[in-house]
Amino acid sequence: MRPIIVPPCQAACPINTDVRGYVSAIARGDAEEALRVIRRVNPLPSVCGRICTRRCETACRRAQVDAPVAIRALKRYAADLAIGQSFFTRPLSSYPEKVAIVGSGPSGLVAAHDLALLGYSVTLFEARPVLGGLLSEGIPKYRLPKEIVQREIGAIVSLGIEVKTGVRFGKEVSLDGLLWDFDAVFIAVGSGKGIVPQCDGVDLSGVFSGVDFLKEVDRGDRQAPGRRVVVIGGGHTAIDAARTCIRLGVSEVTVVYRRSLEEMPAGKEEVLRAEEEGVRFVYCAAPIRFIGKTRVERVRFARTALGEPEESGRRRPVPLEGSEFDLEADAVILAIGYAPDAEEIKEAGLKVGERGTIVVMDETGATDITGVFAAGDVVTGPMSVVDAMASGRKAAGAIHRYFRRIPDNAFDRLVSLRPLETSVTAAIQKSERQEPSLLPREQRTTSFDEVESALDHEQARREALRCLNCGAGATVDGECAACLNCVRVCPFGIPAMGAQTVEIDVAQCQACGICAAECPACAIHLKDDARYPMRPGVDRVLEKAREESPDIVVTGFYCCFRHPLGPPVERHALSWIPVLCLGRLRESDILYPFEVGAEGILLVSCRDEECRFGRGVRLLAERVERVKTILDDTGIGGSRLSVVAGDDECDRFIRGIERLGINPVRTGKRVAA
Amino acid sequence: MIVAEAKPFDEIKEMVNGYRKVLVLGCGSCVTVCMSGGQKEAELLAAALRIARGIERREATVDAKTILRQCDEEFVRQVRDELSSYDAVLSMACGAGVQGMNEWLRNVPVLPAMNTRFIGLCEGQGKWVEVCAACGDCVLGVTGGICPVTSCPKGILNGPCGGNKKGRCEVSPDVPCAWVLIYERMKERGKLEEFKKERAAKDWSKRQRPGRYTHRP
Repeated sequence: MRPIIVPPCQAACPINTDVRGYVSAIARGDAEEALRVIRRVNPLPSVCGRICTRRCETACRRAQVDAPVAIRALKRYAADLAIGQSFFTRPLSSYPEKVAIVGSGPSGLVAAHDLALLGYSVTLFEARPVLGGLLSEGIPKYRLPKEIVQREIGAIVSLGIEVKTGVRFGKEVSLDGLLWDFDAVFIAVGSGKGIVPQCDGVDLSGVFSGVDFLKEVDRGDRQAPGRRVVVIGGGHTAIDAARTCIRLGVSEVTVVYRRSLEEMPAGKEEVLRAEEEGVRFVYCAAPIRFIGKTRVERVRFARTALGEPEESGRRRPVPLEGSEFDLEADAVILAIGYAPDAEEIKEAGLKVGERGTIVVMDETGATDITGVFAAGDVVTGPMSVVDAMASGRKAAGAIHRYFRRIPDNAFDRLVSLRPLETSVTAAIQKSERQEPSLLPREQRTTSFDEVESALDHEQARREALRCLNCGAGATVDGECAACLNCVRVCPFGIPAMGAQTVEIDVAQCQACGICAAECPACAIHLKDDARYPMRPGVDRVLEKAREESPDIVVTGFYCCFRHPLGPPVERHALSWIPVLCLGRLRESDILYPFEVGAEGILLVSCRDEECRFGRGVRLLAERVERVKTILDDTGIGGSRLSVVAGDDECDRFIRGIERLGINPVRTGKRVAA
Repeated sequence: MIVAEAKPFDEIKEMVNGYRKVLVLGCGSCVTVCMSGGQKEAELLAAALRIARGIERREATVDAKTILRQCDEEFVRQVRDELSSYDAVLSMACGAGVQGMNEWLRNVPVLPAMNTRFIGLCEGQGKWVEVCAACGDCVLGVTGGICPVTSCPKGILNGPCGGNKKGRCEVSPDVPCAWVLIYERMKERGKLEEFKKERAAKDWSKRQRPGRYTHRP
């Protein structure tokens, strides 16, 4: 196993999305490329852009400076630009094997997608009339609109996947039957059975499971369950059920959780949204009895104290004696977890684990029956959507290797970059996180309209520029002369003398490019150079500009941090090249457009004190003076180069260039400097 | 370290005027460290020459390259064939490099793009100061590690002279008096007694040129 060092966001993502890759594409205004990067690993980007549990954001090192990059919102921004658009097509050649996938939740969908792209015939079986599992029935539409889900599923199915809905595993199809018709079976039926607490009165009418409730609401056959509803649990299902009740017109909704807010799996943001909508929360209380004649009237709770940490790392709630209290309720929703349907599994002849799950041999999802694989909730118990997707991906890979008799490969192990040193975080400029706007409260409590909107273009560009480009920084090659200039210029104090050459710690480098521009040996390279190719970029821009404006071409370099939305002004004669901080421009980069025929060069930089990297602007000014001298010496004239701040200055500069006329390199006539 | 700086552009341009295909050759040692003659500067000078020649409608083949050291034949030999395809090599090395190159690269003229200035120290990013005159008879052991031969414009061995004004040299207010610096350094080290001792004249015969050195005579 070979460790590959990746940014923390990518290492944290269960499907290892190249987060930095797509965020930087958004930063430079290329949302299409961003989506392409996302789609390489994720066939459900608009779904994930809404409801992903975003471990990437928990891992994001921006949080060490201010707040994590709003990665999920950026994913949604990119994904929503082309929902359901196909990026990949089925391969022309295909394998003969046929695979049955049972269950069309996130795990089954990703497996179907991957296997279809590998060239297998895939048939997807689903018990319900619609595909998507929990995505279609379970996650409320105010968080995840159903047409989004269906469009993304549509794109997956369009890869040539055969779909059989209304077919229940164990009823309409059996495992034996499937094994007769297919070469492999992948079981991803999820875990749809709500767990019921062992207390008196749980059978009273008016006490029901949160999962079932949410499914019924999504199917459209559920009214308000009562006037006063108590929801028991602290996961997404509990909060979803509570917020759904509000939308159905329930006047009093209380969520009771046995631990504190800190331990709550749903997350603080979800709780905050629910509270805004009028949901009440009671922490550290566990139900001990449901009271009522035939229908529930009250629930008795005991206060809990948090004891020793459990296996999960969360502290175990211990009921406190004599702390009982009652909450009145005409309906109780249980959302304390759910488990697979053990009967279905047992009947199929598969080995059943402790909580009714399918027992698999290893992480490939192979079961003890040859050719039968299983993954997702049905194997592990409830997991997040993105984890389920990852499990589907692994299973698809395992099925492919099983068919092709490829030995289980040693997966490359992704290792996260270390955290930033405090000396580095102290030098990083703070930048406010962009939050998506929310539906007004009144609209939220009366409709199932989506609560969160996408970031707008400006927000997305600004937010993407907050990314620290972890791991995309500078590397030093063998030409290093150990002159120590990089050590002296780095605003973050990162380069350090190694045994023979300078070494730049990839975990700490902020990718400003200042050292590379100052390196007298051209021995420092930025990993993101490929994404900002300076010279081919200039060639392309100039060629295009020359077609449109044959007389005067002015090349402008502008700082993306100062102008996140694109060029500061649009003028006929001006052609722009975006640069992530002009402090990375070498003298020769500035000179180059003149060599290939530009009439003038305009540099739009930040003000000195605004520079994201502290000293980029100052170093640029020094380099510009140097280039002006060269321009005077060569006969082009230093006045064809200028650093400007505002629009009117741009216009004045262009007028000045018009007076100077065309670049003498093009005419061959030496013009007085 | 040897510090060199580029000649004025016009002089360089004039020097390579008669040559059609020119290679600007950076040196990867001292002049890279002092930022004046490494790959980055070689590329920049080549670009400037291309532009200047372009304006004059002349053949504009001016390339840039760098080798680790121009002052050793072994390094030069590695690129001899490649360099032979040029009409001239414009060397960004110190005078030693230019002379070595001319010696080992007989078929191509090697021209100096630099003026070799001094043996110096870095005073902060992008700034160097001369500190050693290569006199051949070092006195640093009795001057607190500050060289009066280099840092005093007169090079006197028993200073300061009457030209010292508030610690600055009469030659220029920008130049600190080396002997005041030496006094302060020795005071700091508790060696003022030594400072008061008279220093005998140096053996200037050691500076006879050309200097020679043999490791195992």
